[in-house]
Amino acid sequence: MSGLRRFRYGEFVREVAGNQRRVSANQLSAPAAGPAAAEETIRLRPIDVHRLLTPYLGIRMKDQLRAVLPLAAYLVLFQVIILRQNVSEGGLIAAGMVAVMLGLMLFIEGLKLGMMPFAELIGLYLPKRSRRRVVLLIAFILGIGVTLAEPAVGALQAAGSTVDPRQAPYLYAMLNAWSGALVLVIGVGVGLAAVLGTMRFLYGWSLKPLIIGTLLPALALTAYMMNRPDLAPVLGLAWDSGAITTGPVTVPIVLALGIGITAAAGRDDSALSGFGVVTLASLIPVLGVMVLALIVSMVSTPDEIVAAASGLSTAVPAWYEQSPAVEIVSGLRAIVPLVLFLYAVLTLLIREKVSQAKFVVTGLVFCLVGMIVFNLGLTYGLAKLGGQTGAVTPAAFTATAAVQGSPLYATGLGMALVLIFAWALGFGATIAEPALNAMGLTVENLTNGALPRRLLIGAVSLGVGIGIALGVVKIVFNVPLAPMLIGFYAVALGLSLISSEEFVNVAWDSAGVTTGPVTVPLVLAMGLGFGEAIRVVEGFGILAMASICPILTVLVVGLWIRYQQRRQESAKQKEELEAVQS
Amino acid sequence: MTTRDIVVLTDVALITCIVQREMADAIIEAARDAGAKGATVHFAKGTGVRERLGVLGIAVNVEKEVINIVVSTEQVDDVFERMYLAGKLDTPGMGIMYVTRLEKAATHIPLDVLRRLEGGGRK
Repeated sequence: MSGLRRFRYGEFVREVAGNQRRVSANQLSAPAAGPAAAEETIRLRPIDVHRLLTPYLGIRMKDQLRAVLPLAAYLVLFQVIILRQNVSEGGLIAAGMVAVMLGLMLFIEGLKLGMMPFAELIGLYLPKRSRRRVVLLIAFILGIGVTLAEPAVGALQAAGSTVDPRQAPYLYAMLNAWSGALVLVIGVGVGLAAVLGTMRFLYGWSLKPLIIGTLLPALALTAYMMNRPDLAPVLGLAWDSGAITTGPVTVPIVLALGIGITAAAGRDDSALSGFGVVTLASLIPVLGVMVLALIVSMVSTPDEIVAAASGLSTAVPAWYEQSPAVEIVSGLRAIVPLVLFLYAVLTLLIREKVSQAKFVVTGLVFCLVGMIVFNLGLTYGLAKLGGQTGAVTPAAFTATAAVQGSPLYATGLGMALVLIFAWALGFGATIAEPALNAMGLTVENLTNGALPRRLLIGAVSLGVGIGIALGVVKIVFNVPLAPMLIGFYAVALGLSLISSEEFVNVAWDSAGVTTGPVTVPLVLAMGLGFGEAIRVVEGFGILAMASICPILTVLVVGLWIRYQQRRQESAKQKEELEAVQS
Repeated sequence: MTTRDIVVLTDVALITCIVQREMADAIIEAARDAGAKGATVHFAKGTGVRERLGVLGIAVNVEKEVINIVVSTEQVDDVFERMYLAGKLDTPGMGIMYVTRLEKAATHIPLDVLRRLEGGGRK
């Protein structure tokens, strides 16, 4: 009888609902209401502003909190509980962390509102209205522009001061006097990757030959440089730079362009075409940085660099080279050229206007302010915290000057603690990465469920964890990076050759997706602080290891899945055969 | 000889409610509380009020969710009202909703409910 009762309730409610005022829509659209009524700006009550803004800001702030807070809390807790060291300058670091979150929030929102409309329009119209050569040229320049705008690139430039020019002269030179050229070379690498990726979209190339074509020269150069003691320290930086390039700016903008070009060429057959650009964008810059190192070694001698460095250190930097002016300048330098270039392409080549210019301009202002705030937070929060944790962590197993009563634990135990710490840092930071989650969904659809999202996320996180732990091992024992890298990449190449195209795409891209704008500066600063504390030449290389290891784990998982499928199929065939025979 | 009966429902109304992406769940929840049996949601894009809110327009998502709910004409006002309040539709930019009279509808109706109704009708 519940049905009957509900009808009565409905009647009851209809009697009660007397507060509905009726207004004819004709009255609203009548000329008496004024022709401009539909264009007028609406007046908002305070409650309306609250209702609009609170969920809007809340969601975006929560995203950033989720990315930054657990990581920061983990570092601080490890430092306080395991190492029993107080965090110095805690207030400043906390403020820096807030700046990082605010800056990223503004930047990402600005990217969506301001930059993406440009990128989408260009992707849509440029391939139709320009010749293919022009399109590829634009893709190349865009690759450089987006690299300069990538938030994590600032971290690289900030890392230069910690290197000792006497021990690693060329590394020092590249991070200081040549730092502009360094970023430019990385940008050119990304630009080339954008061009190759676009051509891959157009002609449906396989990724395997492209990987082999860039990886073999890179490995050969690595092998050559590791035997030159003056150039060997640069290798860590070179391989780390690949991880830095593929962040929140590069990936969506380059993809938007590529997808537009593919659609215009009438090829949209494969969802796989979205992959591969990330891989190339993290491999080609490695090659570029190594070539730059060779050039630096040809035009200057170590003695010159040391002499120049000692001359520099006495001079007081000008006001525009000091914080916070330097952060503002680098923020402007990152955003303004990219925006001007996008605008020029849009007005001169495409002759198309952005709709709703008001929102686009607001978005661009957000981008700029967000970048500057993020840079400030990077200097005062992320880099400081990472450097500090890195500097005191070795105290767990060895005597360092900064920590009284070190080593805190027996060598073996302390070492194990540090490795577990490093592994958990990589695993935790990766498993929470929203970009990886999104990629997991795509991959699940793409492989028809053969590679479930959880399995991919697990494999990549495991790989990054192992990679960061190995990177720490490299710094602690001063193991040369090059043999490890050459060995791992050789194995990855071998596995790629026997893997299917899908898994090769997914595996190589997974490495680039995992390293976001928070993890990269933090891990970079930690490695440098770590290296400084135990007095090794340079603390680079952790990111490089964190890039190759997930490739290996995903490839292995892919092969395992295929092996399982084959076994099931052959078992089924055998059953059918037996059924027929009987 | 077997013919299949189709039970046609009359006195039904369609409530359509267009709100920003990710707002639908709360509104459907309210509609269910008021007696709605189910809801269909599809994605859409929309424009209109966003351009008239000034800078605050950025807080309004252009991506929308369109909720379709079929209810009896006796429930429609109650459900309509609860959805309006849950969606805070009195705030600009939150969305729009409307009711359409439907001529007829048909769906699965549990056999025992049908028997009870027809039994009640005979009494």
